[in-house]
Amino acid sequence: MEAVLAAAEVRTGPLDFEVWVTEKADALLRFAYVLTGDATLAEDAVQDALTTACARWGRVSRADDPEAYVKRMVVNAHISWWRRFRRRESPVDDPVRTARAVSDGTAARAEADAIWDLCATLPDKQRAAVVLRFYEELSYAEIAQLLHCAEATARSHVHRALAALKTTLSTEGAEDA
Amino acid sequence: MPEQHDPEQELGPKITSAFQDHAGAQGMQNTGLAREARRRVHRRRQTMSMAAGAVLVVAAVGGVWGLVGDGSPVATSHSDSASEGKAAAPEQPSQGVAPNSERDKAGCPVQHPIQQAAAPNDVPTGTGLDLNTQVTGLRACRYSTGQGGLLGQQEFDAAVAQQVVDAIKVLPERNPDLPVFKCAPQVAKPSEAITLRFTTAAGTKEIWVVYDGCTSAGFFTGTHVYGLYSAPLKLFMTGSVRPSGGTYLSALKDW
Repeated sequence: MEAVLAAAEVRTGPLDFEVWVTEKADALLRFAYVLTGDATLAEDAVQDALTTACARWGRVSRADDPEAYVKRMVVNAHISWWRRFRRRESPVDDPVRTARAVSDGTAARAEADAIWDLCATLPDKQRAAVVLRFYEELSYAEIAQLLHCAEATARSHVHRALAALKTTLSTEGAEDA
Repeated sequence: MPEQHDPEQELGPKITSAFQDHAGAQGMQNTGLAREARRRVHRRRQTMSMAAGAVLVVAAVGGVWGLVGDGSPVATSHSDSASEGKAAAPEQPSQGVAPNSERDKAGCPVQHPIQQAAAPNDVPTGTGLDLNTQVTGLRACRYSTGQGGLLGQQEFDAAVAQQVVDAIKVLPERNPDLPVFKCAPQVAKPSEAITLRFTTAAGTKEIWVVYDGCTSAGFFTGTHVYGLYSAPLKLFMTGSVRPSGGTYLSALKDW
């Protein structure tokens, strides 16, 4: 019984945070990288989120899914106005395809690169919505909750991003042909 | 009917694949995140503690300043009168000046009608001293007629009070040696004046002393006017009640 209590104490103590971060660091960084499209920004976003989580670890660790909780912090940090201001973001009107298809049988790989590069040109909220929808496989209701918007708005973010991607990919495909 | 393609179904798997490919390809620093998070939290808390400490120190300094505010350069009637009195004339122990303990019993009123009087002889009815009345004490109160309030005060014993009354009641209605001014209304009003508050059997009775401005000067009881001469002035213009100057005092010379 004492061992169980000790284990429970360890779970909620300082060591718990270290262990949890060691286990989840890769997943969090991957998610942040997909979200931001930049390794440095991803590391910053994860570090900031973990700092916030550390300060209130008692509450975070008691959440149903601490990983989702921290990912939400990463998303919030990424789309926050001050962070966008710090990045001096200047969105472009139309996505520009920067990787061209090659004819050596690696078309699928080239297309993945193209999609990745095109996603990098999307506005932050559209990109976040796309990442949450297709990487995290969340529902529109969950995306809306994370992005602090209506479900219809979340759906609109994803559909606009898809329309832009499709248009650009179609145009580039026609040019390649 | 043209075939409808759902962009989500068409592009979704490709996007998922692209994300998963790239998510696995990056080589980011994944160690030391927890330690750095703890360090930042520690620093943040330290900063917060220091900020809270600074706020407490500021509040404490403000509180102490408020407590000792009487001695501060903030314009209060007592502090101003003390400092201004010293500037006008060094305070010297004068014969007939009551000891401090007695002086502090009943001070001059902070606000007095003399500050707002339209004319020098506007002593409120019933408060002017009949110079034939026996007096048992005197408190001289010096007031600014502007924003300065009470500039100084001095208390005298019965002997000096009686000497002041005796010196005033023999004076003519005006001093012919004083100049007659023609001046603009805005400078006609005296910048300061003194109220002599005598203790009598019927209560406190007053004589107003006007020595500045350019309309008139002298001792005013509300019913009588006595010319401004230096003999009575010498008896009570001491310490903080002694002005640094005045239009008519300059002409008196020996006050």
